[in-house]
Amino acid sequence: MSRLPLEGIRIVDTSAIFAFPYAAGVMADLGAEVIKVEGPSRVEPIRTGMLSGAYPENDPGDDPWNRTPTFHVVNRGKKSLVLDLRNPKGLKVLKELVLSADVFLENFTPRVTRNWGMDWPNLKELKPDIIMMSNTGYGHGDGPYSDYPAVATSQEASHGLTHLTGYNGDIPSKVGQSYVDFVASWTCLFALSMALRHRKKTGKGMWVDIGMYQLGAFHIGEFLMDWVANGKDRSNRIGNRHPWFAPQGCYPCSGDNEWAVLSVRDDHEWEALCNTIGRSDLVNDSKYIGHANRLKNHDELDQIISEWTKKHDKWEVMEKLQNAGIPSGPVMDSRDMNTSKHYWDRGFMEKVESDDPTLGTRVLMGRPWKLSNTPISIKGPGPKLGEGNHRYIVGELGYSEEEYQELIDETVTADKPTDTRPIPTSNLDDMVAKGVYGYWDPEYRKKLGI
Amino acid sequence: MLPAALDDIKILDISQGISGSYCSKLLADFGAEVIKVEPLGGEQLRTMGPFFDDDPNPEKSLIHIVLNNNKKGITLNLETTSGARMFKKLVAQVDVVVENYHPGYLKSLGLSFEDLEKVNPKIVMTSITGFGQSGPYSDYKSEDIVAYAMGGVMAFSGTKDREPLKHGGFQSQYEAGLNAALSTGFALFGRDFDGKSQHVDVSVQEVVNASLVMNQPLFPFSGAVQGRRNPKGTMYTQIMPCADGYFVSQTGARATWDDQVRFYGKPELAEERFANPVQRLDHGEEFDSILLDATKDRTMKEMFKTASEEFQMLFGISQTPEDLSSCPQLESRNFYQEIDHPVIGKTKIPFRLFNITESPFQHRNSAPLLGQHNEEIYTENLGYSKEDVIRLRELNII
Repeated sequence: MSRLPLEGIRIVDTSAIFAFPYAAGVMADLGAEVIKVEGPSRVEPIRTGMLSGAYPENDPGDDPWNRTPTFHVVNRGKKSLVLDLRNPKGLKVLKELVLSADVFLENFTPRVTRNWGMDWPNLKELKPDIIMMSNTGYGHGDGPYSDYPAVATSQEASHGLTHLTGYNGDIPSKVGQSYVDFVASWTCLFALSMALRHRKKTGKGMWVDIGMYQLGAFHIGEFLMDWVANGKDRSNRIGNRHPWFAPQGCYPCSGDNEWAVLSVRDDHEWEALCNTIGRSDLVNDSKYIGHANRLKNHDELDQIISEWTKKHDKWEVMEKLQNAGIPSGPVMDSRDMNTSKHYWDRGFMEKVESDDPTLGTRVLMGRPWKLSNTPISIKGPGPKLGEGNHRYIVGELGYSEEEYQELIDETVTADKPTDTRPIPTSNLDDMVAKGVYGYWDPEYRKKLGI
Repeated sequence: MLPAALDDIKILDISQGISGSYCSKLLADFGAEVIKVEPLGGEQLRTMGPFFDDDPNPEKSLIHIVLNNNKKGITLNLETTSGARMFKKLVAQVDVVVENYHPGYLKSLGLSFEDLEKVNPKIVMTSITGFGQSGPYSDYKSEDIVAYAMGGVMAFSGTKDREPLKHGGFQSQYEAGLNAALSTGFALFGRDFDGKSQHVDVSVQEVVNASLVMNQPLFPFSGAVQGRRNPKGTMYTQIMPCADGYFVSQTGARATWDDQVRFYGKPELAEERFANPVQRLDHGEEFDSILLDATKDRTMKEMFKTASEEFQMLFGISQTPEDLSSCPQLESRNFYQEIDHPVIGKTKIPFRLFNITESPFQHRNSAPLLGQHNEEIYTENLGYSKEDVIRLRELNII
């Protein structure tokens, strides 16, 4: 049996939504014991909110907060402990638990841990070898924005990415979902790997203070440097085009809303493209010799390429162009990715089984990297709310049964949310009609073999 | 100097371009000694603009100066028998090799993971490729746009009436570099316990896909698939124009709906059809037009400050590289590092990704000139004489 990198590491995760919770889910994959701490009146928002997506078979069931898809992919393999941290008794349990742990994850606004006496200057006195990791929009400290509320959606603009994203010549645009949250997830994992190695060598813990704004800005480094060193802003919005290769774009294929992309990086690939689309006559056409000419005549080239792609489905376009040595591929939607043979062969998609029969077996994505000598996998679905309450409070921290009952009676701990607002559900056909979803496929379980 | 997490680790980086260079830059910032091993003409980053003063000199590529900071640099022609042999001798002395060649290329030079493991049984080799080392697409070619399309992001980005859209810049390459650094970090931490070699296999397609925590599980739970947004009535939470630029705003955090109504100064927004998030979807066009009217004479800076400070709203403004180059928040976080580069002189570079109380990001030296450390590495590490180094140069091996 191979040793997992984080075996024996205990992580107390008080964070919410995507960035740190998802990092902590991967820590569970890597063998850590991850305890997710939520409040009875403030459960993890993605258990129920607008961000959670639909329910299994679109049925919220009796415990909808245990059933949302996004919750499970983000919080896979964790344990659940419910504590009201606004109650001193709940905070006391949290402190005791953190003192038993290796890592403390939090994404509160800076004043919260200060008020609790659990900010770094205080925490390091209590436990010098703890690794504390904080995530905020703009980072702690005395900067002018440090106390500003933020989410990845608002930051995508502020950290400079929307300025260079958008259709050619059009207004700025966002792309994907919550981009910088995931950059923060991966940064958290990177920093943890460094912090653990440092602790192993020196015995010392540390505080890692991540501000997502900084991460987003770093990822447009070449454009920042053009301003810093040259005083020039050449971060024009060019849609799907490449700044110096041509042609590159996203083209319509046969079928409804089917698309494929391609990119031509050199004259060899240009010649291969012309031959593949049956336009060998263009190879030596002076209008298209060299990237500069092709960039100048890009609109015409887009027309020519579209005429060919429209005659083929997106998978044929990929095969024909890749076989000719041209980088290309279909625009894959969620159904395509969940059923992709490539992903299943590589193990990127994993079947995860729940002991709740209404959840059953679902497909969750694993990690985008593999270690050849250490098989890593998802350890289980996300935890049911409060499943670990008794185990941690009584079993691990030594509270008596009477004390535990008091905590329940005072709603310091619970296994249901105290907020019982109705859970909004909607008919999937309506959601498609409103444009919230593109389509829905009733055959999904059959297609996934679940 | 303070003890650093990787101050006992040596790394050979034979990658080219953003992803591998970013990976080894992060490891160098944590104290690893990174030797960038470049082909005789230099790595691909050196050909990537923008260049200092718009002079396409391989020492003046600005992104090379950012991402190869803190490294040493040597040249080595891996496609010669002697070059490959010398590389293996270096591999025997290090802990990590970072590479991003097409799968199979290094094997053709006798430098596959299995080959390197023979000369160093504890080696960690980190490979970054478009589609990973295995699977039916592993031999396919990739580009940033291909990773965005096949990584699932484009299918629901942009508007329904137009083609799917990718992010600007080279985000998939940065994301892949970060994943390569973290997986290398865990491979090294694991190796401290079990002494095992690892081939770390990073797929850029999967990296892009891995960010889709709403999109991916929706299908196996319900069969629903996200598409692109309607072109009309969906601007809120996207990007909206104002007097001097663009902003984005959404509900949540500590701001109530009443706070939103007061911020925009439009009492009609308090009506149920706008206050209720489900009903708001049905009145999107009307809602957007009220917001556009409310903000047409307001500036980005004023709104950012008012929304964030007075109303505790989640609010962003579309900032430019110019804004970010003189941003007081980034300065308070020591994001930039002053450097003195032998060719372009004094400048500052984006440097610190986050703040940390131990093993802090430390700037040691600026990016190496092409072959700058050839003599040092080949004489001190491999025992060649200065004359040997000249001969190796004449034979186009270094």
